[in-house]
Amino acid sequence: MRVLFPIDSARRTDIDAVSADDRYDAVIVGTGISGAIIANELSRAGKRVLVLEAGTGTDRTLSGYEKYLSNFYGASSKDNQSPYPANPNAAMPRSPLLRKLQPGETDSSTYMVQSGPYVTDTTFTRVFGGTTMHWEAKTPRMLPEDFKMRSLFGQGLDWPLGYDELEADYRTAEREIGVSANVEDQAYLGLHFPKDYVFPMKGLPLSYLDKQVARGIDDTRVELCGKSYPIKIRPYPQGRNSIPNPAYDGGKGYVPVGAVNTHQVEEGERCQGNTNCVPLCPVQAKYHSGKTLAKALHTGRVDLLVQAVVSKVVTDPGNGNVTALEVKVYREPQSAEHRTITVKGTIFVIAANAIETPRLMLASGLRDSAGLMGRNLMDHAYLLNWGLMPEVCGTMRGTSCTGGIIDLRAGGFRRHQAAFSVDIHNDGWGWATGAPFSDLTELVDQQNRFGAELRRGLIDRISRQLLLAFMIEVPPTESNRVTVDPQYTDQLGNMRPVVSFTVPEYSMRGAAYAREFSKTVFARLGVADHTRYDPGDYGYVTYEGQGYAIRGGNHIAGTHIMGTDKSNSVVDTDQRSWDHANLYLVGAGSMPTIGTANVTLTLAALCYRSARAMLKQLH
Amino acid sequence: MSAAKTGDASRLDQFLAFSAEVTAFGVVELQGTGQAEAYLQTVDDVVGAALVDELLVLHAKAPRATGNEGRAARGAHLRRTIFGDGKLGPVARNIVKLWYSGVWYELPGAWTETYGPAPQDVTFVVSPSSYVEGLLWTAIGAHPAGAKAPGYGSWAAPPRIPRFADDPVSPPSAEPVDGTVDAERVPA
Repeated sequence: MRVLFPIDSARRTDIDAVSADDRYDAVIVGTGISGAIIANELSRAGKRVLVLEAGTGTDRTLSGYEKYLSNFYGASSKDNQSPYPANPNAAMPRSPLLRKLQPGETDSSTYMVQSGPYVTDTTFTRVFGGTTMHWEAKTPRMLPEDFKMRSLFGQGLDWPLGYDELEADYRTAEREIGVSANVEDQAYLGLHFPKDYVFPMKGLPLSYLDKQVARGIDDTRVELCGKSYPIKIRPYPQGRNSIPNPAYDGGKGYVPVGAVNTHQVEEGERCQGNTNCVPLCPVQAKYHSGKTLAKALHTGRVDLLVQAVVSKVVTDPGNGNVTALEVKVYREPQSAEHRTITVKGTIFVIAANAIETPRLMLASGLRDSAGLMGRNLMDHAYLLNWGLMPEVCGTMRGTSCTGGIIDLRAGGFRRHQAAFSVDIHNDGWGWATGAPFSDLTELVDQQNRFGAELRRGLIDRISRQLLLAFMIEVPPTESNRVTVDPQYTDQLGNMRPVVSFTVPEYSMRGAAYAREFSKTVFARLGVADHTRYDPGDYGYVTYEGQGYAIRGGNHIAGTHIMGTDKSNSVVDTDQRSWDHANLYLVGAGSMPTIGTANVTLTLAALCYRSARAMLKQLH
Repeated sequence: MSAAKTGDASRLDQFLAFSAEVTAFGVVELQGTGQAEAYLQTVDDVVGAALVDELLVLHAKAPRATGNEGRAARGAHLRRTIFGDGKLGPVARNIVKLWYSGVWYELPGAWTETYGPAPQDVTFVVSPSSYVEGLLWTAIGAHPAGAKAPGYGSWAAPPRIPRFADDPVSPPSAEPVDGTVDAERVPA
């Protein structure tokens, strides 16, 4: 589909015109997937929308997008923010800057203040397109039982919605993102689809590495809490373009959206195997929210203002309604020079992310009836396990991840310990050790290899790498939270987020089991286990005498959870604030639990639901 | 990059000859990366041309090798004179890493204390294209993450690990023994 940004969308919007305008039906904060979906839905229904983005927005042009790629190539640390330049006016967390905390210590040296005790390396990206620029694009649905954790397992919370109420919106989200998967691979553990449903595109093939692992473990079983579970390697659904399924939409088929920059470029219509979903797909075969925003901008009813950081939500003290947003529009990233304007609209949508949204709300000092704003911060806890396969498996080829083990996403054991899903990383040990660069330096500097011995050593050492990443569920816990503190501000004087987090015991029991599960899998494969958790690691957590390095998942959620009334939640099932009738807080922050599903597909589905409620409210 | 800055052509040839031997890639393959001049310039800039000349002269003087025994003797000679030398060793290892990754790695602190200062000695990627042209990816039959994509679905097939001269596991005369198939031939 030739969807491109309108040429004039790359020009600067007139600040005076925006601040003088009082006829916007909706003002949306953030250009990530939530803001993009809502902007598209409202504008297509005839509503006038203003979208505010804190980042610079240079990637609407092809040269801007390619500059990100060039930044990545040239970065000596290839972390998941490496394509995106430092911007002190819209700063973001960067994992290479983290350090371990002493008990009771707070580290305010980086944008996201870490007040511990656990130091999270979770990130979000404050650029045009939000975190969909760096996401991996894995798009599993939550399981039906994930919505009922409290009543089924006595853990976490129940959602005020069920799987069946979200199912149609899941399908809409799968269309918008362009999900590649086969229903026969995804209909498991209670996940159900309407008869004759197919995904927009066919599933991406498993990697050669996945298939070698499958050969060793498929149709074997593990015992857990007195029950036996079969395990196998299964493909994940992905928001990356593959082969369109001609049976989609009752036989109408599906046309993938490729690169959408202001210049036409023949790329992005199918994944080319760049093995670089995170931090940036070079060809835009991976969905990013610009693909949705391009459509929204074509309605002619959307104004986009970039370099616009919302500093305050202003409300009417009487009825609590939001009357305006105070916005600091900066001239360029390195300078604090800015103009403060106010923008007005009928409804307001905060779609920043589950850390920035509560940060803004708390910084605005607004009414918070349930006292839950910023609380119940969740993310997936990742435990990495790595080793060497007995044979060369061609690691470092693929799209970042194609397959994994999902059999322990559900089960009665969830009364006792967290569920997990397991990813096989086609880029080997990269996440755990910095491979393949760390392998090169070790072979050259420690093993004193050069010439043919080095070249053979690299093949042996890298092409056999297997990394199992366990994505462990983290239940909502009120003490895990985002707060603000006037002593911690950014260059524009906005308060920065302060995060306090303890990995819950429930999750750590899951982590401890994940380690044992890995050993079993490795034994079945003949893998040489190289897993080692360094006590000096910033994410090091001790549980029952054993230490584990827990990584963040960039799946931040739960800071403005939805519920059945204003005493137990921040928003209702439409993500509308209980306290402010014309304010919607959208995104993963509304999710009361996250199960073992990457959050983006679910939050996208929720945004379709919210958009309908907004249109109803505006009529 | 001007020829005057990187020295004359024979100096570049010497750099390539040394690089080919220590990377196990052919001179033509190294030239094919388009990075040779930039790498020589990088080493010159960080540690000084005189030290680089010293290394290249020593390498040029190493005894010619024929046969397996000769190769072993030459390897031992390079270890004693260059890789095992306090001053030259870390620089030689950095040249190997430069070719394989496009990254100049900061030298060990002990080196800088003794032979420094070297104000430009920090870890950096020589250029965006040097990352893309790293030999590491070719060596393992892969591609640099984010570049030179091998095509949709290519990841499902077994890897094609290129063969190379003097491979300790798979000598050129034998069939590959590492489980890979269809190993690509390296141009002689």
